[in-house]
Amino acid sequence: MKFFIDDLPVLFPYPRIYPEQYAYMSDIKKTLDVGGNAILEMPSGTGKTVSLLSLTVAYQMHYPEHRKIVYCSRTMSEIEKALIELKGLMEYRTRELGYVEDFRGLGLTSRKNLCLNPSVNKERKGTVVDEKCRRMTNGLAKKRIQEDGATDVELCEYHENLYELEPDNLVPPGVYSFERLTEYCKDKKTCPYFTIRRMIPFCNIIIYSYHYLLDPKISERVSQELSKDAIVIFDEAHNIDNVCIESLSLDLTNDMLKKASRGATSLNRRIDDVKKTDAKKLQDEYDKLVQGLSAQEIINNDEDAMETPVLSSDLLKEAVPGNIRRAEHFVAFLKRFIEYLKTKMKVLSVTSETPTMFLQKLKELTFIERKPLRFCAERFSLLVRTLEIQDIEEYAALKDITKFATLVSTYEQGFQLILEPYETENATVPNPILRFTCLDASIAIKPIFEKFSSVIITSGTISPLDMYPRMLDFETVIQESYTMTLAKKSFLPMIITKGSDQVAISSRFEIRNDPSIVRNYGSMLIEFAKITPDGLVVFFPSYLYMESIISMWQSMHILDEVWKYKLILVETPDAQETALALETYRTACSNGRGAVLLSVARGKVSEGIDFDHQYGRTVLMIGIPFQYTESRILKARLEFLRDHYQIRENDFLSFDAMRHAAQCLGRVLRGKDDYGIMVLADRRFARKKNQLPKWIAQGLSDADVNLSTDMAIANAKQFLRTMAQPQNPKDQEGVSIWDINQLQAFQLEQQHHQLAEIDGDGDVPMLTHEEELELAELNDL
Amino acid sequence: MDDSDEYISDVEAIQVKRRSTRKSQVKSDLKGANGGYSWEDEYQRSWDIVKEDEAGSLAGIVSGLIESKKKRIIKNVTPFQRGIIRNLILVIDMSSSMLEKDLRPNRHALTITNVIQFITEFFDQNPISQLGIIVMRNGIAQLVSQVSGNPQDHIDALKSIKKLEPKGDPSLQNALEMSRGLLLHVASHCTREVLVVFGSLLTIDPGNIHKTVKSLVEEKVRVKIIGLSAQVSICKEICKKTNFNDESSYKVILNEHHFKDLLTEAVVPLPVNKINKSFTLVKMGFPSRVSQDTPSFCSCHSKLTYGGYVCPNCKSKVCSLPTICPCCNMMLILSTHLARSYHHLIPLKNFEEVPVADEYDSTQCFACQSEFPDFIANKTTSSRYRCVDCNQHFCIDCDVFIHEMMHNCPGCENI
Repeated sequence: MKFFIDDLPVLFPYPRIYPEQYAYMSDIKKTLDVGGNAILEMPSGTGKTVSLLSLTVAYQMHYPEHRKIVYCSRTMSEIEKALIELKGLMEYRTRELGYVEDFRGLGLTSRKNLCLNPSVNKERKGTVVDEKCRRMTNGLAKKRIQEDGATDVELCEYHENLYELEPDNLVPPGVYSFERLTEYCKDKKTCPYFTIRRMIPFCNIIIYSYHYLLDPKISERVSQELSKDAIVIFDEAHNIDNVCIESLSLDLTNDMLKKASRGATSLNRRIDDVKKTDAKKLQDEYDKLVQGLSAQEIINNDEDAMETPVLSSDLLKEAVPGNIRRAEHFVAFLKRFIEYLKTKMKVLSVTSETPTMFLQKLKELTFIERKPLRFCAERFSLLVRTLEIQDIEEYAALKDITKFATLVSTYEQGFQLILEPYETENATVPNPILRFTCLDASIAIKPIFEKFSSVIITSGTISPLDMYPRMLDFETVIQESYTMTLAKKSFLPMIITKGSDQVAISSRFEIRNDPSIVRNYGSMLIEFAKITPDGLVVFFPSYLYMESIISMWQSMHILDEVWKYKLILVETPDAQETALALETYRTACSNGRGAVLLSVARGKVSEGIDFDHQYGRTVLMIGIPFQYTESRILKARLEFLRDHYQIRENDFLSFDAMRHAAQCLGRVLRGKDDYGIMVLADRRFARKKNQLPKWIAQGLSDADVNLSTDMAIANAKQFLRTMAQPQNPKDQEGVSIWDINQLQAFQLEQQHHQLAEIDGDGDVPMLTHEEELELAELNDL
Repeated sequence: MDDSDEYISDVEAIQVKRRSTRKSQVKSDLKGANGGYSWEDEYQRSWDIVKEDEAGSLAGIVSGLIESKKKRIIKNVTPFQRGIIRNLILVIDMSSSMLEKDLRPNRHALTITNVIQFITEFFDQNPISQLGIIVMRNGIAQLVSQVSGNPQDHIDALKSIKKLEPKGDPSLQNALEMSRGLLLHVASHCTREVLVVFGSLLTIDPGNIHKTVKSLVEEKVRVKIIGLSAQVSICKEICKKTNFNDESSYKVILNEHHFKDLLTEAVVPLPVNKINKSFTLVKMGFPSRVSQDTPSFCSCHSKLTYGGYVCPNCKSKVCSLPTICPCCNMMLILSTHLARSYHHLIPLKNFEEVPVADEYDSTQCFACQSEFPDFIANKTTSSRYRCVDCNQHFCIDCDVFIHEMMHNCPGCENI
């Protein structure tokens, strides 16, 4: 259908629209008009992606600025879904408009997923694929072949074939899903990964994972050329602060240090070799550095050059300092730094210090200054280039050390160095980890907000909305949470606070291993296994708790009882095991055996896997998924948030727990024809009702916030029966689905409301006769 | 003894039906679910059902109740080609989940009672059809009553399993495979149907149930499932695939009355779908009744009897109709049997509500002669229903009775 939002014609690829989709689109339009940022919470399963795309594409095509769209999502499958949705939208637009628009939409993912080269894509590890690919595609190798016909290097023919095409037209216009693109490229024998990379500047819309924008290590290379007025969308962004933090954090272990010093030694050898054979090269490099060229200027060529761990704005635009200009000096410098770190790791007590303290001590003991440290990463990549090192894998650990050096010397505020000598609390053999952790999520995302005029952050569960602007330190023009309009109540949220025997249940640390509580949770599981058809998903706060409660259930014979009704599958930290468990789970759900999946609220299952329809009829949240509060990193972060953003520890912890809980609950409801029961089982949830996303809280009636297990079961039974009744699609019309006439009627009405407000005196202006007729006509339709 | 029981339950059933028609609509979402003692049951707020309108009157509610009763009997009256020679396998769940007490006295007992009633009704309205019964118990499927056209055999079999305790897990696959075997030989002009009453939420199968479903589709067996607790995806899939992508043959009950309603729905023969439409002529015999002075052997039971029906084809004697002649395999029926199935093909038209007016032509119901209530005071409803053909007025009770029982309009017959 085609409708107008103000003056913007929007082509929506479905004949009907949900009211919340319309509201959502209007708000995005407003944001884009004003130029600013927005946080929007849109219930899952209400066609968020298609609304986002159809509005932004309409916006792009209609206005002369043709603002580019950058759409960031979380997982590869979500990106693929968005691409397919976009393709459908563009096909619809073509049909409606009657001509093919000059439009290019591409998605970007890692080399591992895209590579077509048979000798490379059989590798299973992403880093190995990256490395192999770089080796076969970098300019050096090519140059060597051209110059002296070296035979020991091999070039990727898929990549080479790209050079034969026009650089701005590697693929014809259109929308390519990953599948379609790899097919196209297979046909043409070109490299899909580099096709996308090089086409980014010519795309109307680019869809990729938000790491490509947030992580300074890759954003420099991938997203640098995006123009300022681009529309940036972060979808599924409820975890965006964690992504920001991770992209600037780094862990060092003893093992890495060992490898790094080995790397340094072999680097030294390499330098000696090169000196004997080709001393000129090193001298050249040195001369350039002396001339005051910054490393970046020296490596001023194509894509795979610099990998700086820090944000571009924090890079020093100066010459590399004297003491690390010579290659051998630099290596010696690095060695000294590694040795210092090694001695540091020998400390057997937990220490926590700021980067400034660290640098101070470093200076006292080793006379390493701050400034050369800052250039470590740059200098290292330059050296690698000069030495024409092919297999960077050997130097991976060393590279991490240089990254660490640069990070630690660049940032003073918002970072913390924490040394944990023991892995777990009661371990006796030390296995120290030096964590360089970022505490301030706003650091990594700041350049995004600075660079782009409109950033839209959206997700199905992003409540409370005001937490994000505070944490990420930005201003919004619109913060909105939409509710779901439903013809029938298709989800049943309940809070169970006590077991059938009226004992309060809670996963509070002190009491969670109490047999009566464990048994109550167990009997709750049995009851729900009994009444839930097909799939039942259970979430625990942590692996540790899940393991202990499962073993206790085993000894109480609770699992035997559950086994009668459902297969029991467990998520483990191992990705492959989990994938297998999920597959079995899905089979069991669709052949009538039924299954229960025990998983963890912060695990893989809770984040990316959808449990639609029969795959999840009930989700059981056992306990509040608080973070492990004894973690030093968390403590440091809490302290930081309190001092800098005035966010109280408890507020943050409970916010973080509730967003994960909401995320888990949202897994079962993936569309308007879907239905599911959402159970929060902990006494403490009763007080946290208003921290749930608006659409869930709205469905949670006051009667359902303080239930015992048996009452909840009775509710659930009734709900399941009602939901199984055939639904008359006519019921939804006009209420939760609008066709074009109903939409126009709504728009007309809204205009009158606005007029009324402008009038100010409270009178609703009389409709003109014509409008009245129009309205009546629309209502009749 | 059995007969008197039968009678009582029948009377009860009618009374329940009367009550249910009035209450089922409003009470459906408040009906208790947990079973057992009443204090374990869900809270029922009966006062929520009745709400006064603005003027403080209850008339609106009352007329609403009547309206809902009327609504229930309005069915689709477009004539369809329906398969009236039916072969139905009834599959009854007897797994441990049938011991649940959310239906009173428990699921199993109520199911058997309802099914007995269903069988009576089924043969009443589909006299030339065949039926067989399978139970799912302990992971296997058991045939409790052979495919036959005699309702009494089935009822006896059901009464005997009523005492049997439900046990173990059900297996849909086993039951469907067995039904498939039983329906294998059925001629193409007959329908092949399976009706499952399924109380569990799981099925434990020895093999891949999806394969069974596939072969059911190939053999044009149509499966209808009545769920007793919640929607199970495999059931939905079975029904959808075997009914040409129509999901509506999978229903889940809301309460006891709804259960009965769903079973009653299954009495009406299914429309013949475009896909398996085939016109075949069926050979049938209309035997004549004989009474003899000297007893002779009947060919069905080999007993000496004084009378019976003589097959027009081979002249052998059978005791009762309808049946298949044991000698020449011809279908033997009476013309009245055909007539009883006939109303499915051309149903009686729905009566329409007479609009409220100051004066009416009649003061009494044409059928039962009771006076129409005087509703001039509130004018929300006329309480009259008119046959569109003969224009006679009927009261709501007669309307329901005519459409559910008689299938003929007394007014039209009178002309």
